[in-house]
Amino acid sequence: MSKDLYKGYRDPCLSLLKRHDVTVWCELEAQTSRGEFHGLLLPRSETADPYHLVLKLDSGYNIGIRHDTVQNLKKVGYREANYKIPEQEFPRDPEKPTVRLFGTGGTIASRLDYRTGAVIPAFSPGELYGSVPELADICNLDTEKLFGVFSENMGPEQYLILAERIGEAIREGYDGIMIGHGTDTMHHTSAVLSFMIQNTPVPIVMVGSQRSSDRPSSDAAQNLINAAHAASHGPIAEVVVCMFGPTSDRYNLLHRGTRVRKMHSSYRSTFRTLGDIPLATIEDGFVNPIREDFAPRRSDRDVLVQAAFEEKVTIVYYYPGMQPDVIDALAEKGYKGIVIAGTGLGHVNRKIYPALERANAAGVQVYMTLQTMWGFVQMYVYETGREILELGVVPLANMIPDVAYVKLGWALGVHPDDPEAVRRLMSTPIAGDMTDREPHDGYLVLQGGVPESAKFFTNVWK
Amino acid sequence: MSPRPPSDLNPRRDPALDFPDRDLGELSLEDYEQIGFLGGLEVHQQLDTRGKLFCRCPAGRRVTNVDAEVLRHMRPTLSELGEYDACALMEFKTRKEIVYLLDRGTVCTYEIDDTPPFPIDLEAVKIGLEIGRLYGLNLATELHVMRKQYLDGSIPTGFQRTGMLGLTGEIPFRVPSLGIDRPLRIRQVSIEEDSCREVSDLGHRITFRTDRLGTPLTEVVTEPDLRTPFEVQAAGRLIAQVARATGKVKRGAGAARQDVNISVAGSRRIELKGVGHHRRLPLLTHIEAFRQLNLLRIREELRNRGIEPPSLPDGRAFSWTTSPLVIEASGHLRRCEYAPIKDAIDRQERVVAVRLPGFSGLLSHRTQPGITFAREFSERVRVIACLTDRPFMIHSDVRDYGLDPTQWRAIHSALEADNEDAVIVVWGPASDADTAAREILIRASEAHEGVPSETRQPYLDGTSGFERMLPGPDRMYPDTDTPPLPIEDGWLAEIESRLPELPWDRENRYVEMGLSLGEAVELGASRWAELFDDLSPANKKVARRLAHALRKRIPHHSRLGREAPTAEPIVPLVRALEDESIRLEATEAALDALIEHPEKSAVEVLASFKVTKTVHEEVERLCGRVAESAKDLTDRSRDVLMRWAMGEVMPHLLGKADPMEVRQRLETVLFAEEAA
Ligand SMILES: [Zn+2]
Repeated sequence: MSKDLYKGYRDPCLSLLKRHDVTVWCELEAQTSRGEFHGLLLPRSETADPYHLVLKLDSGYNIGIRHDTVQNLKKVGYREANYKIPEQEFPRDPEKPTVRLFGTGGTIASRLDYRTGAVIPAFSPGELYGSVPELADICNLDTEKLFGVFSENMGPEQYLILAERIGEAIREGYDGIMIGHGTDTMHHTSAVLSFMIQNTPVPIVMVGSQRSSDRPSSDAAQNLINAAHAASHGPIAEVVVCMFGPTSDRYNLLHRGTRVRKMHSSYRSTFRTLGDIPLATIEDGFVNPIREDFAPRRSDRDVLVQAAFEEKVTIVYYYPGMQPDVIDALAEKGYKGIVIAGTGLGHVNRKIYPALERANAAGVQVYMTLQTMWGFVQMYVYETGREILELGVVPLANMIPDVAYVKLGWALGVHPDDPEAVRRLMSTPIAGDMTDREPHDGYLVLQGGVPESAKFFTNVWK
Repeated sequence: MSPRPPSDLNPRRDPALDFPDRDLGELSLEDYEQIGFLGGLEVHQQLDTRGKLFCRCPAGRRVTNVDAEVLRHMRPTLSELGEYDACALMEFKTRKEIVYLLDRGTVCTYEIDDTPPFPIDLEAVKIGLEIGRLYGLNLATELHVMRKQYLDGSIPTGFQRTGMLGLTGEIPFRVPSLGIDRPLRIRQVSIEEDSCREVSDLGHRITFRTDRLGTPLTEVVTEPDLRTPFEVQAAGRLIAQVARATGKVKRGAGAARQDVNISVAGSRRIELKGVGHHRRLPLLTHIEAFRQLNLLRIREELRNRGIEPPSLPDGRAFSWTTSPLVIEASGHLRRCEYAPIKDAIDRQERVVAVRLPGFSGLLSHRTQPGITFAREFSERVRVIACLTDRPFMIHSDVRDYGLDPTQWRAIHSALEADNEDAVIVVWGPASDADTAAREILIRASEAHEGVPSETRQPYLDGTSGFERMLPGPDRMYPDTDTPPLPIEDGWLAEIESRLPELPWDRENRYVEMGLSLGEAVELGASRWAELFDDLSPANKKVARRLAHALRKRIPHHSRLGREAPTAEPIVPLVRALEDESIRLEATEAALDALIEHPEKSAVEVLASFKVTKTVHEEVERLCGRVAESAKDLTDRSRDVLMRWAMGEVMPHLLGKADPMEVRQRLETVLFAEEAA
């Protein structure tokens, strides 16, 4: 393929550039109706409008010049940028544990193309060592890039490959597994891996960043370092998410893969354990469990991998006024399982009962979870709940709706022809997806502005 | 062709090594020319918008309340070449905890980097464009928001969002009192968000308040065309005046701050950061010019002595244990009686000694008034190694305190130092002392280059101290969170249609009204220029006298805490001056009376200054009375007598009678006999 000399430029700028015989990376003198400008012609972002040229000035600033202000363009030089992350060999120390890092496409470590602003992911051990050299003080690192997809494009296809590869790595003898992942759907992946990989002898630690590592205030390095601690010598052999505790650069939390959820679109401390407390904190290289009921690290390699997923599963987020045809349509389209996120203790309106009954009769499995996120489904308190149970809807205690969705997909995948087995799996906690009890501090959404939280923020939460 | 930013180096490479140190005020323009003085300004001006630049928090609210704290670190990112700057990484390792104090009313999750930016504030962009237009710049057609890296913690993201509005302009620069009449070249105007206010910087912890963070600023950069410290001041004033002409910028403490770039022949650009008042500029820049000259003298002396720079293994990141120039000195100082070192050893801290080959005597070389070259080392150590409990360092050029001769000898021999070497002893917590030793060697090797690239913090006495290394060129990159913003022709047309009067236009108008250029420039820059315009004197004589009176009297009254007058009570005075019902000589006295008696009506106050119909009789009566008293003074000379007599009479007639008439009348009554 020939090199794109006009990267990102469309008409009218494209013909303007051709007319004046200049291409990207040309150093230009531009005469315009707003005066003269001197700079390097940069590629144009594909998503930006087609009317402006972008110049990088000697001061480092970029500036846009609208095509119809241009009177003349003169090429005075050419400086093409070429970027590569230099690889430095990741030092190996036989005394240190060895960790396998799988990449899924999220950019945990990256560097920036300073001229275009494009983020170049750093992933090989050498690149990672180049950007977070502290990792070499913790463990030996082997990396494998499995996919190059954004978090939102992770799905069943990737889940299966990831689970299989993790199983193999465990059997190969790695002391821990790390998975670099975009944060948006990290909790879906952590949940599905919790079901697909059971009885893991070593930690499986998911990690990402809310601020890309090309920013000096990035959370990426701290997350990576703490995840490496958790994976290489941490005592907890479960699928966990390792992300910031508070928004301050202080410590990380390890969240159980089935109880964690991204709760803020942009905060660093976005991951929270719901309806329970996290497994551990990590600070200064120490993994400090804050509960005792975790699966401990073992030296055997007896891991059970059940990689299967039925894609015809969905979540229905109930709202007042929902019409029954929503449920009918799903049944008609061949959906095999529906997770309802119901109101309150697990309710939907009476109008859709007949549709639920029809779905049940057609063999569609229907489960009840809560859109309140916290608390237990309790369908016996009110009559409506009891009626819904009679329609074949199965309550899922305090399972988070997203977790119920991936669990149902997995269960139907494992037992495609055994509805009873699916129902049994769904109703049995497998990886902490449902708990017997909720501690008093399992629900914590502090209300800002009131005196006691003000006190808490000034004195404690720093 | 647009000018390319010059390199950091002063265009003249021949330092005026023989030029003696002098005080500010003792040097002429030619003297500054001889040392190759060059100054440039970067003026940061807060804009008077309702909201901040990238979020909807209120701008310009200053608070002391603290609702919460956030703690962060700044990690160096890979440079354009894909490598960490060894220096930045080393600074990170001796890292600082950065604490941000949050107040609910003035800061949201954007400023602390937990929410992406909201669309840029268009009100601020438009004010910025107007300011750019006033500086005669070529304006951008599309604004690109960039990130400018700052690792000092003053911005929680680690970068400042900033965008270029316009380039390459000039404005008339006329200051008759300094003999300046030429254009001032403006390199660029950008719009950016303000940083945090520093609260404290102690050891490894620096604390910032966030109320100011994110306030829209324009940054105006001049070309380095300023040839004396006083030109720097005058340019700063002019730039501020242009921005104020829009009526849309904040005024008062902290609303405008300037960074000054100074170099002399043979040196490179040094940045003095955040000077709040124009009046501080001359002394600061003068002292900085001579600091640079002195560093160049030290370099010359090292060359003359034939000294090679100390070798630094692994660049900046080496460990002192590998250097033969550094020893752990605690062992030699067990019996040290010098309290700071003794206490450090008692606290189990580390004491290191560093040999600087060939530096003997140089550490006490003067660099700034009352400051020697040793301060360059201690400032570096303080900032980079975070040692704050002074003293933390002594050196062998000053031996009358600290160690006794035996101890100095022991350390010299352990370091294999001879009489031509200098030795610095520094102490502190082990890892900080290590950093300090490394930093001392780095600064010593920089002495061979002359003037190291750095930004400096100005102090109130006119001296300055090391703040940080000057950031590299890679600190600017596009902000991927904000789309480019087209700058519509319609906005510029709107700005053009309501352009304020520019300072030089205003000065020209004053000249036409009868003022000299010097008076016009002074009036234009004054606080009472608007009052003058509101009074709109109708003829040249009155205009000139009024400008003079305002300049003399307004500052006097404001010193006494009186409020600046409005035009209303003063208009009758100006009208009276114009129709000559009050004489010009009474202007100041009448103005004073109006300001001092706001409770009285203008008519009442001015009555006593009015020329009256009976004035001739009054002149006659007063002159007669004076002539009577003068009979005892006949032994005095004619001139003395006349001066005395005028002094007796005129206060009663000020503004009412023509002094010439009084004089003639007095001549008649006093010397009539003689004449006869
Ligand atoms: Zn805000």
